[in-house]
Amino acid sequence: MGDKPLIELREVWKVYRMGKVEVPALRGVDLALGAGEFLAVMGPSGSGKSTLMHLMGCLDLPTRGQVLFEGADTSRMRGTQLAEIRAHKVGFVFQTFNLIHTLTALENVELPMIFRGVARRARRARAEELLRQVGLGERMGHRPHELSGGEQQRVAIARALANDPKIILCDEPTGNLDSEAGAKIMELLRRLNEEGRTVVLVTHNPDMASYAKRRVHLRDGRLVEVKAETEAPV
Amino acid sequence: MIREYLSLAIRGILHRRKRSWLTIIGILIGITAVVALISLGQSMQLAVNRQFEEFGYNVITIMPGTLRGFHPSLTATLELDAAELEAIEGVESAGMMFYKSSYIQTEKLEGFLPVMGLSPEMVKIMLLQPASGRLFRPDEPDGALLGPAVAQDLELEVGDTFKIEDRPFKVVGVLKKGGNPRNDEGIFVPLQALWEVTGEEGKISIAMVRVEQGYDVDEVADRIKRVLLARRGKEDFTVQTVEQLRKVVNQAIGILGAFLGGIAGISLLVGGIGVMNTMYTAVLERTREIGVMKAVGAKDRQIMWLFLIESGLMGLAGGAIGTLLGVGLNVAAVMAAKRFIEARVLELGISPWLVLGALAFSFVVGALSGLFPARSAAKLPPVEALRYE
Repeated sequence: MGDKPLIELREVWKVYRMGKVEVPALRGVDLALGAGEFLAVMGPSGSGKSTLMHLMGCLDLPTRGQVLFEGADTSRMRGTQLAEIRAHKVGFVFQTFNLIHTLTALENVELPMIFRGVARRARRARAEELLRQVGLGERMGHRPHELSGGEQQRVAIARALANDPKIILCDEPTGNLDSEAGAKIMELLRRLNEEGRTVVLVTHNPDMASYAKRRVHLRDGRLVEVKAETEAPV
Repeated sequence: MIREYLSLAIRGILHRRKRSWLTIIGILIGITAVVALISLGQSMQLAVNRQFEEFGYNVITIMPGTLRGFHPSLTATLELDAAELEAIEGVESAGMMFYKSSYIQTEKLEGFLPVMGLSPEMVKIMLLQPASGRLFRPDEPDGALLGPAVAQDLELEVGDTFKIEDRPFKVVGVLKKGGNPRNDEGIFVPLQALWEVTGEEGKISIAMVRVEQGYDVDEVADRIKRVLLARRGKEDFTVQTVEQLRKVVNQAIGILGAFLGGIAGISLLVGGIGVMNTMYTAVLERTREIGVMKAVGAKDRQIMWLFLIESGLMGLAGGAIGTLLGVGLNVAAVMAAKRFIEARVLELGISPWLVLGALAFSFVVGALSGLFPARSAAKLPPVEALRYE
């Protein structure tokens, strides 16, 4: 970690309201994430991992506390500014891939660039290049239902990279994949991190988390840093 | 970026093909009705205007009574002198007509029928055209012209004779079909002859004045009115220019057309509600997709445009097909009228403004109907949208 963190969470609370009951998902989380890190956020399901990831990616705002993206307080931003950050600096990868099933692989990768206003030719060229990088150069014209789960997730990663983001946020990216396909995805993420991109991996699976350089545990809405040397092998 | 939005919107429409078609049909019916009715009104207007044009706008009519209308009354008459009218500055010629129900006898039939006595000038002004035979000559006091319908009913041909009020007349010509329906049923004789057989010398039902070139028609009409008023002492007559008449008729047709178009507009409204319904369903179905789009950086405004274009396109599709059908219906109506009525009550003239207007309107109806669904799509919180199953 060098100078200023890429993302900083200060005493962040997120409380969901379910009818009359308030359910806190995060209870005062502090976290500083530097550029170039590979962070795994671990914890059982329902521990608030996804919530944490959404806050880091400016997809949601905290109930209390601050999320600083490159030093800027997201709670003071308007929806358009948050969308701007998502369009330029963040790439999301989801457990269920979340590809748009009416679009081809190529078009799915183009989508973020359409919203950013990238010209057609440049957009297409970049989408093709990205799909080649994730090993899908031959399957660009296929729609999601014609692709295997692993292939779909690789399309999703290409899509996350479309706008050349500083950070890739992955929510259980291997959760719906067999171990072989999952390992391929993790290798891909490791490579992206080695190329200089910040990667955050949310997972309950310690095997996957072991790809990360830094690990934190989310328990009862609070973060616990895992010291590499104290962690027992699984 | 319009191209990308269009392409995405078209995917959305094609994805739920059956429902999209049903929605489009809703708009289509409304637009068909609106276009068909409005263009029918325009066809009527066009036909009327063309008849007026043939007649010429430099004609002024003078009729007894103060009720404005186009046709002479069978009962009300006026005593007018052609020479007196022709003395007024700007009047080129004055034609007179006397209209009287008279006792007609042929070899086989007898009974009362309306007969029109025409002064020589009136024959010219009315632009009567014989299909067989000829018009009557000024020196022919017993010549008669028959409208095609009446000639058929009375079984008379050129050269035959018949009696009006016991005086024999000879058919010198039969008029062409398809003019003024009134002319088709008319029996025309020289004005002097009708005066003589009815004993109502000097009476006329309508006078038509042709204005000399270079004179303002309205000014001449005013002058005629003043002269007649001075002589008669009271305003028991109506002076009307063809232009005024045309305006009155056009206004009536215009109001009728707008009224019918408005009623048809209600069905368009129903179509719009159909679009709204479909779009709300689409927003619901694609909630997750909307979440994904937001996650990859789509702004609220962009999501909104996407859905607006989609609903607008459905409106436009319905509008395009509906306009075609509406125009088709109009063409069919005009053709049917020409074939079966034989009178020029409709004239084909597709107004490009109507077509463009209908297309633009259908797009707007579609887009407006999509406005609320699109807004609700744009306002979806991204995280909730992503979680939507």
